[in-house]
Amino acid sequence: MIFTDLRFLVLFAACWGCFFTLPRSWRPSVLAFWGAVFYLTYAGTFLAAVLVLVGLVHSSGRRPLAWAAGTTTIALLAYFKLTLRASPLPATDTGPAAILIPLGFSYLAFELLHVVIERHRGRIQVLRLADLLAFAFFAPARIAGPIKRLPEFTAAVQAATLSGANVYAGVLRVLIGLAKKLLVADVLALTVAESSYVSTTRHAWTIVLAFSLQIYFDFSAYSDIAIGFARLMGIELPENFRWAYLASNIRDFWNRWHITLSHWVRDYVFMPTASALFQTRLRRWPPAIAAISYLLAFLIVGAWHGATGAFLVWGLYHGILLALFHFVRLKTPARIADHPLYRSRVAKGLAVAVTFACVTLGWVPFMLPLKEAQRLLGIMFGASR
Amino acid sequence: MRTRFTRRLAFAVLWLAVFDQFVPRLLRRVERERYEAGSVFRFENSDLFALGPLVSYLREHPQGNRRRVVFLGNSIIFGYGLAAAEAIPAQFQEQQPGTRVFNAAFNSAGLGSSYLIAKAIVEAVDGLVVLIGSPGTAHDMLPSLIPVEESDRRAFALRPPDRIERRLQSLAGVWRLYAYRYRLQAALFSTSTRQYVYLHKRDIVRRLVTPFTSPPPPPPTPWRPSDDRAVLRAPRSASPLDAEGRRQLRQNHQLLCQFADLARSHRKPAVFVQVVDVSVELSDSEAADFNAMFAPFAETVNIGLPPSLRIDTMHLTPQGAHAVAVALSRYDSEREIGRR
Repeated sequence: MIFTDLRFLVLFAACWGCFFTLPRSWRPSVLAFWGAVFYLTYAGTFLAAVLVLVGLVHSSGRRPLAWAAGTTTIALLAYFKLTLRASPLPATDTGPAAILIPLGFSYLAFELLHVVIERHRGRIQVLRLADLLAFAFFAPARIAGPIKRLPEFTAAVQAATLSGANVYAGVLRVLIGLAKKLLVADVLALTVAESSYVSTTRHAWTIVLAFSLQIYFDFSAYSDIAIGFARLMGIELPENFRWAYLASNIRDFWNRWHITLSHWVRDYVFMPTASALFQTRLRRWPPAIAAISYLLAFLIVGAWHGATGAFLVWGLYHGILLALFHFVRLKTPARIADHPLYRSRVAKGLAVAVTFACVTLGWVPFMLPLKEAQRLLGIMFGASR
Repeated sequence: MRTRFTRRLAFAVLWLAVFDQFVPRLLRRVERERYEAGSVFRFENSDLFALGPLVSYLREHPQGNRRRVVFLGNSIIFGYGLAAAEAIPAQFQEQQPGTRVFNAAFNSAGLGSSYLIAKAIVEAVDGLVVLIGSPGTAHDMLPSLIPVEESDRRAFALRPPDRIERRLQSLAGVWRLYAYRYRLQAALFSTSTRQYVYLHKRDIVRRLVTPFTSPPPPPPTPWRPSDDRAVLRAPRSASPLDAEGRRQLRQNHQLLCQFADLARSHRKPAVFVQVVDVSVELSDSEAADFNAMFAPFAETVNIGLPPSLRIDTMHLTPQGAHAVAVALSRYDSEREIGRR
């Protein structure tokens, strides 16, 4: 894990020192410089490519250049996803040689696309190169998110103050993240590794349950550590997880799981798709518009995790669940929805359990290639051994 | 508010600084208990986490309180599918109570790995038992776990350790809890904390949900030694090997001869074990030539086992491991593998 690498800690300490000792107006440049050094250390071969991409995004004020920046970012993301088939989980093997894909490129690509789109929409009026570089290279969030938004990040950098409360909260958050990763997720990973010789139904369910917990603890740990390191600098990053497995429905789940990604997809895929579809004849069937928008949005979420059939199936599965939930909610009569039993704790508990079961089942194609996932599902439901 | 946070941070730092003074003493105690006592040692779940700490301990303490024999090899020696106490090395230790046996084998280990591990600890052990017949490869992680010479690193095409990170870690060694973190875990659990939690998860959960007074779980089902025996034979050559024969043998089995040279140069007896039909590197005549060439410091033995002592085409049942351990123990009593 890069976060526990002493090299990362030394770089971070140097960045932290400069950040608070140099004038406030230099802060973006400080973050950009040390971020670039961090990138050079861990993914040096890709630094030039990322710099060119950031330069392209910076010059995307005019429409043709915005298109060029956007398509180049998407093309590069697709290229890396298709050729390298990176794992959705951050690499556990540290060291420069272990990284073959530009570090955290999936996150970087979505952040840069956000800048291009918001600039095109006129919500980002002034774009300073130093701010953009600081945003793109901010080391704590470069490994596994959260996916930041430029205006909020720039404001947070300027407002950052050195305080005991920030340092304490940051250290605590980093320690919580490390404990989640090293003591829980990594132990669960050993049970998940048993999937290669799974034979009984009970064993298969245990492994899937272990993966469901592992991916939550692993991913949320990386977010915790990133948020903690940023907090040490007084910078508040957006939260990425909020007790996701206590969600009472699938939409609630996506408001608690990888929040920054689901918000990105909502703002830049779901809403524009739905708006565009409302301009067509489909406007007479809003549920169909919602279904199509959900399916498209979650196919993109699946592809973002990895360009494999398994991830696409996982994305499609969640798209279908969301569309179904949307439809059921629309069609639930008010007398049922307002019934005390419907709103009781028992019903809520049941809803949490059903949502967890649906999400956990969905992890099967996420954790294994399609053929192996099929085999595991077969064993889980006693169909084949 | 600010003072409270600063006070908490200061307290945490102070507590760590005080605790740090006791770390070396704690480490000495738990390492002595782990590596010198009679408990079974192996890389649990075939995880190499404890290799670095074991090698560090042995290099720092070249003299143990008993004769030390290290078993090296792949899953056959590791004891795939067997409890640690059922594997060949543990059963050998049972046969030879005056010997401290280390099972330093792991699944899919190549002969290169065994060679590099042996090279790192040869000064601190009295004898080596090495399973041969596996490919001459070495595990890619070894240079970051144990001392590996540059020439060996190149010969086995291993990735060099991350020098900058290593240097930084040595600088951070002033914080002893950090410097000894792997050694402490290995000495306390014989593996990493995560492997320990994984391997004992049921016990841990049981302890959490039931009172401590509840009876311990029943011991694993006992097994009885089989009537089937392992046959051990050391091929012998009637005539001494000529120069051409030596050259030929070295050319065909370069790594094995290098291994034998290592044992001979350090005057540490090594037994190279071949399991007939399973893990064979030398033909009978080659083994005889090899034995003639490297006697008395290195010898190849062939062990034959009936199929009833195997769980599959390769791995042994507890009875099979017992039979091999008994055969090796008898051989040891005659030939004295590193007897002091």
